[in-house]
This record gives sequence, structure tokens and C-alpha cells, in this order.
Amino acid sequence: MAYINVDSVKQRTFDAIVIGSGMSGGWAAKEFTGRGLKTLVLERGRDVKHIKDYPTTNMMPYEFEHRNELTYEIKQKEPVISRCYAFREDAMHFFVRDSEQPYVQEKPFDWIRGQQVGGKSLLWARQTQRWSDLDFEGPARDGFAVDWPIRYKDLAPWYSYVEKFAGISGNNDGLEELPDGEFLPPFPLNSVEDHFKKQLKAQYGNRHVISARCAHLSKPNQIHLDQGRAQCQNRILCQRGCPFGGYFSSNASTLPWAERTGNLTLVPHAVVREVIYDEKAGKATGVRVINSQTKEETEYYAPVIFVNASAFSTNQILLNSTSSRFPNGLGNDNGLLGKYVAFHNYRARITAEYEGMQEYATDGRNPAGGGYIPRFRNLHKQETDFLRGYAAGFRANRSMQEDTTGFGAELKKQLLNPTWGTWKVGSHMMGETIPKEESRISLSKEQKDAWGIPLLNIAIDYDENDNKMVADYHAQMEEMFTKAGFTNIQKTDSKQAPGLDIHEMGGVRMGHDPKTSLLNKYNQLHACPNVYVTDGACMTSTSTQNPSLTYMALTARAVDHAVSELKKRNI
Amino acid sequence: MNRRTAVKGLLVFTGGLVLLPSCLTREGKAFIPLKHLEVSAEEEKMLGEIVETLIPTTDTAGAKQLGLHKFTLKMVDDLHSPEDQKTFMDGMEAFQKMTKKQTGNSFVECSPQERQELIAAINSGKASKEVIDFYQILKKHTVTGYLNSELVMTKLRIYELVPSRYIAYYPVKASTKN
Repeated sequence: MAYINVDSVKQRTFDAIVIGSGMSGGWAAKEFTGRGLKTLVLERGRDVKHIKDYPTTNMMPYEFEHRNELTYEIKQKEPVISRCYAFREDAMHFFVRDSEQPYVQEKPFDWIRGQQVGGKSLLWARQTQRWSDLDFEGPARDGFAVDWPIRYKDLAPWYSYVEKFAGISGNNDGLEELPDGEFLPPFPLNSVEDHFKKQLKAQYGNRHVISARCAHLSKPNQIHLDQGRAQCQNRILCQRGCPFGGYFSSNASTLPWAERTGNLTLVPHAVVREVIYDEKAGKATGVRVINSQTKEETEYYAPVIFVNASAFSTNQILLNSTSSRFPNGLGNDNGLLGKYVAFHNYRARITAEYEGMQEYATDGRNPAGGGYIPRFRNLHKQETDFLRGYAAGFRANRSMQEDTTGFGAELKKQLLNPTWGTWKVGSHMMGETIPKEESRISLSKEQKDAWGIPLLNIAIDYDENDNKMVADYHAQMEEMFTKAGFTNIQKTDSKQAPGLDIHEMGGVRMGHDPKTSLLNKYNQLHACPNVYVTDGACMTSTSTQNPSLTYMALTARAVDHAVSELKKRNI
Repeated sequence: MNRRTAVKGLLVFTGGLVLLPSCLTREGKAFIPLKHLEVSAEEEKMLGEIVETLIPTTDTAGAKQLGLHKFTLKMVDDLHSPEDQKTFMDGMEAFQKMTKKQTGNSFVECSPQERQELIAAINSGKASKEVIDFYQILKKHTVTGYLNSELVMTKLRIYELVPSRYIAYYPVKASTKN
């Protein structure tokens, strides 16, 4: 090894290193820098500065070469990313293309990646629900995976903490399965969404439609204005990056906040090859990084390291961090690293029409997207032939429609004088999938990427439980739609590959026991406690709720723990 | 500056107006650059008249002035599969033959009355499958292009980039016009 210039080592030494600048990495950066720690954030993609680097944000539809559609050539060349709903002309610069960074699909898996400063926090669908004990107690009650080492009470104050800063709109609905929170005013349900809510309440009692809770500033508080953010302007062009900071992203919120402390060093184009483990010290001492542009290798050092590279990339980094102490990857004494990964089952949809509420439409746009139906299956006891359950989105939409049947002056008149169409209603499922040992990601033995890092090999599939859940969702929703008076009901099963849900989780799961889990209740690696994992990789099970808010809360809690442990010299 | 340079400069200056089109059309190709479709200038002109028949100039601009024939060609060239492109091209040829057979003229040479009659027949499904397939692709892009044009979005049916509101119960009369 080459001699290292001592001053240079000093320059490359920090109080904390955070790998990744997305949803959870941004929170780690904010929490560490806010507590006075000199923090290095490593991002493998390019820098994206809030507003300045949102090139399409104010473009009108006619300014896009193909009116925001994908070309045939791109769909052929980049089939996986082209399946992502948000990969369109207005936001394609924020996604990794298949051809740029290949991976091995042992089984079909649509790996949707956003590698830039801010990561996928720029692109997410912004749905934010707390998990309840019905989720955290799931594996123990139903006998799968391992018991979560935490319960709702451990996370509740941290949910409140991150909600207040991020800005979450919603109602306190008083539901056990969906704990209340610190909310900004909700985006209201429209007339047909309300109709469905009332029908379910009347006919079932225990099935609910609520205003979807989302990370939008419906009415900003001082803390949001202090971040430089403003009220959501209902554009629903979020995936382009929001010039108002109307929704929560690392770029608009946590990263500039961290930067203002003077304690943040942000290094883009930094591909982390591995976490460095010091055998003598018995802990991790830093990370080895390759500059994606120059391929130059650099080491950075810190007493504590947070791995927030996004669920699967975090697994990849740990699997690739080998030493004589950890020949199978950092912290991987039990061989479970990369196993028990899971995702959300989004295959099923149902649509219909409603002839009522002709006296109402909507005006403007709803960034929350409409209603949310919390899980109602197997909630308190097992009542079906499948494990767990599903949440569902529900929205009703009535738009102006133009008659396009004619031609000539008549057609022109028709196009310029649309009339209100009938109400369309639609729902999609978000099913909990069961983490299984055979659902795993591993490093390819043969193939390497442009930086010499083994490609990720992904082998994940649906199982019979998922198929039963799709069938049950269809049957239950059809019944509910029928009871609500909806007509022309259409059910679809997209059979989409896992991954397109963009909710991949696990591989570095939390648990009580080092023999059966990788992380403890504070997200520290059991076998290397100065390394924390708080992104999707840490998840023991998947719940039916969107996971991002939980990543944020886990991260803030873990940083609080790490700083306290550093002070006590425990790590 | 010598005379030679001055003349060259003059040519460069006027080039955009005079030289460029003649240069591009020397092989009779379409004015719009296409990667896959082989469309002649004559055909491009014909498409201009078809889209104008679909969405004519009234007190506001029609499809030809908005360039929706070129827009259609670009969309077919970039968004469609090779199979769909063939459907479009074959149908266009069939349309030309049909026009010639029925009127003795090309569509461009037809009177406005003849154009109306030709399109009316196709629009009501009275034509070969080939012609109808071509017509439907053309009409789809023309309508999309029109509704998504700057004219319509900024003047006729205003697109709001920044609505700044969501009204969940917006009262309307049944079947009211916007």
C-alpha cells in the first residue's frame, strides 16, 4: 500500500460518514450535522441542486419533443426503466437506465434506481403512513421472518419528529391500524370518494377510506418556511423536482438544512466499493470509494458509518465489504445477508364508473391522489387462507372529455368544447409480501460493473400467498364497488415483475438475535456496531404501508443513538 | 473584406430562406427530418391538406398552420414500432391510390368539396382496412398534437402549470361546457 500523506488523511477524516443522499441518507446528514458532527455524505450519482438542477420543472406539455411520451427506441433499449410510470421525457434524467448499470435477473426483477443527490426522494409518490403494532407484531404473530426488535412505541416519537419537519398532510382518523400523527391540513376527498367512504362505513363498519396522507405542504409551518419551502401549488409535476419545495425531498429539505450548519461535506460521483473493517480495532474505520468519472480510488474515515445507499445497493456494498473477519460480507456471520428480501405486491387493479354525483366535479389537482384504504384483512386474527393483507389506493376522477368522432369544423368545435364525462373510479392494491430465505440478492461471481464491483444478482418471485391475495383483493373490491353502486367494473392483474413497486426491502434485517438477524434494535450491525443501516435494507417485514416515512423515523432514531454511543465511547 | 467573402456572407445570411429548402428537397424528401419513414415532399404536402381537412382554419389556426402533419410524422417516426410504421406507410399509399381512383386527382389537387367527401367516407368507416388504419393513426396524433399545441394550451383551453388549488366539491351543471 502506498504511503498516505498524514494531512491528507486528516482531510479525509470525518465524525460520521453517510453513504447515500436519498430519503434516509438525507435524514442521517441532517441529524448528524445538526448535532455538530462533521459529516461526509457520499453520493454515487451527480449533484442535483434544489431548483437549479430541475431543468424541466417549468416546461409546458408542448415543449417536450414527444409530448412526454417514450420513444420506441428507448423502450427497446431500456425495457426495465421504461416500465416505470415516472420514467417519461420530463423526468428521465433522474433515473438510471438499464444500459448504464446492468444487473443480473436470475428471476425477473424491475430494479428502478434514481442515482443522484436526493436519490429517489425526488421521484417518490409521497404517500406517508405510520406503521402500527399490527405491522411490527406481524412476523411474530404469523410465524414468518423474525420478530421485529422494536414496537410502535419505540418509533412513535420519531415519527412525530420527522413528520413535523418533512410536512405531512392528513387527518387524524383514529384508526388502530393506521396511527395518527403530526399533520398539516388534509387534501379533502371528493364527492365520489366521500360516497365510497360512507358506503363502506355503513355496509362494513370496519373498512375505511381516508384522505391519503402525503408529504406535501398543504399549509406550511414556520419550520418549512425556514427550510426555504413554500405551500404546495397543486401542480402534480413532482417527479420533475418542485421549485416551491411543495413536497418533501432531500434536495429541498434535509440536505440544504444540513449544509447550513457548515458541518456537511457532500461528495457526488462517489461509488462506494466497500466499508473498511479494521481487524485490530474490531470495527469499521471508513469506506473505499471510486470516483465514477475518473475511476480514482479514495479512502475516507470516520468512527461511525451509516449505509443508506438504497435497499439493494446497501446489500451490495455490505456483501462486497469482505475481510478475513467477515469473508462473506460485513456483519454477515450467519450467512443471512442478502436473504429474506421482499417487496410490495402492486399487481392488481380495479376500475369502474359511477353515474351519481353529476352535480359535482373537481377543480385544480389533488397531490395526495385521493383516498387510501388501510388494510382490513387478517387485521386482528387470521381469517383468510393467506397470510397478512393489503392496503389500497382509491380515487375518483371526473374529467372534461372531448368528442373526437367527427372531422372538420365540427371536430374542431368538439375539441374546443369538452363536456364533463362520467366519474371514473379506480383502485390498486399494495400487498404485504412475506420475506423468505429463497428470496435473495447476491454478488455475481463472474460479472463486474464499470468500477470493478460485482454485479448484483437478484432472485425474487411471487408465491402462492401473493396470488391468493390478488384474488381476494379483486373479490373484495368488486363486492365493495358493487355495494357502492359502481358499474362497468374491470379487474386486471398486471403480473408485473417484483421491483416495479419500488418498495424492495430487506436483506440486512433487524432482529433481536445475532444468529437470525443482521441489525439490532437501533439498526447497528450486531457484529460491527459502528455501522448502521437505516434504509429499506433494514426492514424485517414489509407491512402494507408505504415505507419511506418509517425509513426517516428509523434514521433519525438511529443517529440519535449513534451520537449518544459516540459520546459514551461505546462505538 | 473582399468580394468573395461578402458574397459568401450574403449566401449564409439568406441560406435559411432560400438555399436550405432546395437543398433538402433535391431528392424530393420531406422537409421534416425523419429517421425511419421514407416520406416525399409531395406526401408531406398531402398530409398537410388531410390534417387541415380534419381540423380546418376557422377564426383560429388550423392543423396545417400548426404543423400537425409534421408532428404526426415525427411521432410515427419516433414512437411507433416498425410494424406500425409499415401500417401507416402502406395505408398512406393505399389512400393515395384510392384518391386517384375516385377523383382522378391527387388529394392536393382535389377541390375542398372532394376532400370533404373523401375524408367523410373514411371517417365513417367506408374504406379499406389499410386506409382506415392509416387514417386513425393520423387522426390520433393530429388530435393529440392539436390539444397539446401552444395555441390551444395558452389561448383556447388554458393549461394551468400552477393551479394552486384543489376544490374537491366543484359544483357543475350536468353536461355543462367548460
